[in-house]
Amino acid sequence: MELALELKGITKIFGKTIANDHVDLTVKKGTVHSIIGENGAGKSTLMNVICGLYQPDDGELYVYGEKKHFKNPSEASRAGIGMVHQEFMLFSELTVLDNIIMGYEPKKGLMLDSLTARKNIEKICNQYHFNIPLDAYIKDLPVSMLQQIEIVKILFRGVSIIIFDEPTSVLTPQGIEGLFEAIRTLVKNGKTILFITHKLKEVLAISDEITVLKSGKMVGNIKPKDADETILASLMVGRDVLLTANKMEKKLGDIILDVDDLYADDYDGREKLKGASLKIRKGEILGIAGVAGSGQQELVECLFGLKEVKSGKIIYEDKDISKLNCRGHRNLKIGFVPQDRMSEGVNAEGTIWENAIMGYHITSEFGSKFIINKNKVLKFTDNIIKEFNVKTPSAITKIRHLSGGNIQKIVVGREFSQSNHLLIIEDPTRGIDIGAIEFIWKKIEEMAATGTAILLVSHELNEIMEVSDRIMVMYDGKLYDAGMHGEKTESEIGLLMAGGKSE
Amino acid sequence: MSKMKKIINSYKVYSLAKYIFSLVAVALIGSFLIMFQGESPKEALTYLIDGAFGSIRCIGNTLRWITPCIFTGMAASVAFKSGVMNLGIEGQIYFGAYAAALVGFYVTFPRFLHIPICIIIAGFAGMAFALIPALLKLYFNINEMIVTLMLNYIAVLLTEYFTYIVMGISAAGDSLALATPPISDTAKLKILVPKTNASTGFIIAVALVFVVWFIYRNTKVGYELKQVGANRRFAKIGGVNVTKTFLSIFLISGFIAGVCGSVEVQGTYGKFTAGFSNNLGWDGIMIAMIANNNPFSVLLVAFIWGILKAGALHMERMCDVNRLTVLLIQALFVLFVTVDYKKLLEIFRKKGGKV
Amino acid sequence: MVELFFGTVTIAAAIRLAVPLVLSSVGGCFGDRAGIFNIALESFMLCAAFFATLGTYCTANPYFGIICGILAGLTCALLFGIFVFHFGSSGMVVSIAMNLGMDAFTSFLLLTIFGKRGSFMDERLVSIPDINIPIISELPYIGEVLNGQNIMVYLTIVLAVAAWLLMYKMPFGLRVRSVGMNEKAAQTAGINILKYKWYSVLLTGLFCGLAGAILPLGGTSIFTENMTAGRGFLAVAAIMIAGGNPIKAAIVGFMFAYAEVIAASMQNFGIPSQIVLSFPYFITIFVLLISAVCTKIRKKVVKI
Repeated sequence: MELALELKGITKIFGKTIANDHVDLTVKKGTVHSIIGENGAGKSTLMNVICGLYQPDDGELYVYGEKKHFKNPSEASRAGIGMVHQEFMLFSELTVLDNIIMGYEPKKGLMLDSLTARKNIEKICNQYHFNIPLDAYIKDLPVSMLQQIEIVKILFRGVSIIIFDEPTSVLTPQGIEGLFEAIRTLVKNGKTILFITHKLKEVLAISDEITVLKSGKMVGNIKPKDADETILASLMVGRDVLLTANKMEKKLGDIILDVDDLYADDYDGREKLKGASLKIRKGEILGIAGVAGSGQQELVECLFGLKEVKSGKIIYEDKDISKLNCRGHRNLKIGFVPQDRMSEGVNAEGTIWENAIMGYHITSEFGSKFIINKNKVLKFTDNIIKEFNVKTPSAITKIRHLSGGNIQKIVVGREFSQSNHLLIIEDPTRGIDIGAIEFIWKKIEEMAATGTAILLVSHELNEIMEVSDRIMVMYDGKLYDAGMHGEKTESEIGLLMAGGKSE
Repeated sequence: MSKMKKIINSYKVYSLAKYIFSLVAVALIGSFLIMFQGESPKEALTYLIDGAFGSIRCIGNTLRWITPCIFTGMAASVAFKSGVMNLGIEGQIYFGAYAAALVGFYVTFPRFLHIPICIIIAGFAGMAFALIPALLKLYFNINEMIVTLMLNYIAVLLTEYFTYIVMGISAAGDSLALATPPISDTAKLKILVPKTNASTGFIIAVALVFVVWFIYRNTKVGYELKQVGANRRFAKIGGVNVTKTFLSIFLISGFIAGVCGSVEVQGTYGKFTAGFSNNLGWDGIMIAMIANNNPFSVLLVAFIWGILKAGALHMERMCDVNRLTVLLIQALFVLFVTVDYKKLLEIFRKKGGKV
Repeated sequence: MVELFFGTVTIAAAIRLAVPLVLSSVGGCFGDRAGIFNIALESFMLCAAFFATLGTYCTANPYFGIICGILAGLTCALLFGIFVFHFGSSGMVVSIAMNLGMDAFTSFLLLTIFGKRGSFMDERLVSIPDINIPIISELPYIGEVLNGQNIMVYLTIVLAVAAWLLMYKMPFGLRVRSVGMNEKAAQTAGINILKYKWYSVLLTGLFCGLAGAILPLGGTSIFTENMTAGRGFLAVAAIMIAGGNPIKAAIVGFMFAYAEVIAASMQNFGIPSQIVLSFPYFITIFVLLISAVCTKIRKKVVKI
C-alpha cells in the first residue's frame, strides 16, 4: 500500500522542553490514522510540524515518498496537507466565502474573482454533501456549522491528507457520529485522515491504525482490533488509569442558590440566555453540560456579576445578588474558577503569592484594612502550595514559570482555600495532564463533602458525567434536567445537548 | 530549584545589560551628532556636566529641572502601571499651573495656608482636565490616548486665551511674553539654594516617590492597582472594582500633573506664562517608559533628565552644539531601552546557526 | 450664511487644507487594518515635510521634493517597522519616541543645514504649480472650486479610491484585514503575517510621506518647526472613526479640514484666535463622541 506520509526522527525543542523526541510515523494512503496521547504529549506540536507551522529541529518528512521541508503552511498545503485546528481558524467578521478562499483567492486580473470562488465551493459542497450558507458571517453561525466550514476550507485548497486536531471536543455525541460519517466519505474519495484526540472510545470507533505518544516520544503502534480502552490508557499514561471520580455518599443541605428565569445578551447584543433556571443545595455538585456557545458563558458571567442581567432573579442565601459586582460576590463567599486560566485566572507576570491572594485580600485578615501583612500572605500561599501539591521553588516565583497544571492548581487552590459557600467552576481541567485532572476532581469532591455547593460548567461531557451529583444540560439559553449521577447514558445526554426533548 | 533562581538572576543581569547597551548605543549616536556639528563630543560632555554641577548655582538649577521631571514621571508611571494611557499630562500641567497662578494672585492667605491651597487647587484643576478623557473612555469607550492628545493642544490654546481675559487685553498681543500678574509672596515656595529656582517643590516630589512606593509595596490598594494594570479581567474577577480604579488612577495622574504645574509657577516662574511648559509632560512619559513604571527608577531617570536639561543650556552657550541634540538623544534612549534584546539575540543566533 | 458654509471660496480652501489630512488618513488605514498600533503618523509627516523642503531647495523642483518626502516617509515607516516587528518594542513606545525625536531632529537639521530657527523660507522653495483642467474649469460651481487647485487634489481623490479598491476588492486587502483580525488564523491560511504587516506599514509611510511633502509645497512655500501641528493625530482619529475604511477615512479627514476652514472664517466675527485654532481638536473629540454614541445605539437596536 502506498504511503501518504512518513516521518523519520522528527524532533522539536522549545527552549528547554523537548516537545517531540525522534518521532517516527508512517501513514498509509486512504486510511484513518489516529494519534493519541494526553495533554502535553506533543501531539499538537507534531501536527504543526507536519502542516508547516513549526519547523522541526531534526528529522525528515516524506509526503508520497518525496522528501519535503516546509517553511510555512502554504508550502505544506501545496504538497497536499491541510489541518482542521482544534480552535477554529476563522475570521468572525468575514463571510463564509471570504473565510474559505482566504490565502487561496482566485483572481481575475488584479481583482478578486468571487464568482469562480463560489462555483468551486459549491462543487465541493455537492460532492461531499455539505450544506453551508456562503454569504453569512461566521459570528452568526453555530459551532457545528463552523467545523463543516473548516473542512470545506481545507478541501478548497485541494489537499489530500487532512489532519483533524481534537475535532470532537466541541460536538455532541450525535455530532461526532456526523463527523465520522463525513470522515468516511472523505476516505472513500481517496483522502488520508490523521485524527488527533485523547478520547479513547472515538479512536477505537474510527481508526484503521493507532499511534500513541507519551511525553514527546512514540510509545506504541497498534491496530484497533488488538486494543481496548484499558490498553490504550496504560500506554498513554504509563500506568493503569481510567479516569473516574470516587463519588461519596453525602447529605445535601438547604438550597443555597436559586436562579429563576434568567435572560441576558452576549457582547454583540444577541440574546444568549432565554429563561435559564436552576437550584443548588449545600454540598451538591451540579454539572452543566452543553455544546459550546449555548449560553454557558453568559450564565456563569451573570452568576458572578460580570454581566448585566436583563431580567430574572438570582437568589443566594435569601438575597437577590443579580445587581452585585464581583466584589459583592466575593464578600458573600462566592468563588469562581474561570475557564481561561491565563487570561482570566492569573496575572501571568505576577508572583505566586500575588495570584494566590486575589479575591481573598478583600475578605481576609492579611493585616489591617489597608496594609498587607507579607508574613501572613506568604503563610497562606505556602499552605496552598503544600495542600495542592504545586511544584514550585517558592511563593515568590513568577507564575508564568510554572506548568499549566500547576498554574491551574494555584487557581483552584485559591478559590478552594477561602472558605467559600458557593463555587462556580468552569472547565477546571482543560489542557492539563491526567495526574492533575484526578487531583482536581478529588478536591472538588472533598469541597462538596464539607458542605460547599459547586456549580460545574464543563465542555467535557465525560467530566460532567463523572463528577456531578446532578446534571443539567444547556441548550439555546435554557437549562434542562438530565437526571442524577449515572442516571442517563452519554447518548441520552447528547440528544438533550442537541435540542432533543427529554421525556 | 536552583534552575529557577538562575532564570531570575539572569533576568536581572539582562535588564542591567539592556540599560548599559542602550547607554552605549545612544552615546555613540550622540557623539556622531555632535561631530556632525563640528565639535568634539568629549568637550561637549564636559560643558554639559559643568553646566549641571559646575557651581552651587548650577546644582540648584539642576534640582529645579529635576523637580518637574519627577512629578511628570510619577504622573505617567502611576497611570501606565494600571493600564491607563494618559498622554495628556502636558495639558493637565497647563491647567494646574494656570489655576495656581490665579489662586496665588487673586487670593490672600497667610503663608502656611496659601501654599498648600494653591497646590491642592492646581491638583484639582489638573484632575478636572483628566476627568474628560476618563469619562469618555468609561461611558463611550473612546480611546483615551487620542482624546488626551487632542486635549493637550486645547489646553495650551485655552490657557493662553484665559490669560488674555485675565490681563484684560485684546487677543492681538505678543503671545510669547503673555503672562498673568505675578503671584503674591505668600504663595511662593521656599527656595532651597539661594539665587536659584530650586524650591521646596523638590522635597515634595521626592516625598511623593516614597509615598507611591510604599502604597505599591505594602497596601491593598497598591496591590489592586498593580493587578489591574497587569490583567484587568483577572482583577475584575478577583473582586477589584476596575471601573472605579480606572477613574481614580486617571484622576490621580491628572492631580500629580496639576501639582507639577503649580510647583513650576510657585517655585520657579512666579506667574503663569502662556506656552511655558515646553514638553515637560512628554518628558514624564519618556521617563516612565524608561523606568518601567518603578517609582525609584523614575527618581533615578528624572535625575538624569534634569542634569541633561540643565546642562544642555550651558553646553549650547559654551560651544556650538545645539541643545536639540539632547532632546534627540533622549528620544533615542527610549527607543533603545524598550527593545526586546532577547528576541533580537535569538534571531541573530538562528541566522548564525544556519550560515 | 450660505456663502460662508457652501461658497466656492470655503470649499476650495477646505479641499486645499484637506489634501494632507486625507492622504495620511487613507494611508493609515492599512496599518490600522493590519492590527498595527501606530500613532507615529505625525512624525512620518513631519520628517517628510522637512526632506521635501530640502529636496525642493536643492533642485528648485517641487516634484523632486515630493519624491524626497515620500522616501523620508518610507524611511520612517522602515524604522517603525524594524523596532516594532523585529525588535519587539511596543507600537506606542516607538510612536511616542518617534514623534518627540522627529520634532527635535527636524528642528536640529533646520538649524544645522539652513541655520534657521522657527521657520524657513526661500525663493528656491517652489510650490507645486496650480493647474486648470479645461473641461472641469468651465463647469459651474465645481469649476470654481477646482480652478487653481494643484495636481495633488486630483491625485488624492484617485489614491483614496484606489486604496478602497485595494482594501476591499483585491486579495491584498483581504489578506491585510485577515492579519489584523486573527493573526493565527491568517497564518494557518498560509499568509505570511510579517510580510503583510510590512506592506501595510510601508503603505502608511508612503501616503504619509506624500501628505507631509504637500505641507510645505502645497502653496505656502514655507517650512516651520513642528508644522504638522497634530495633523497626524487627527488622521489617527479619522481612521478610528472610519473603522479603517479608506473612503470613510477620507471623508472624515475632509470634514476636519472643512471645520477648520469654517472656524477660521469665524475669526472675522470677532471670535478669538485661540478658540479658532483649537477648533479642529474640539471637533475631533466631538466626532469621536458622536460615532461612539452611534455604535452604542446600534448595539441597542440589535438587542431589541
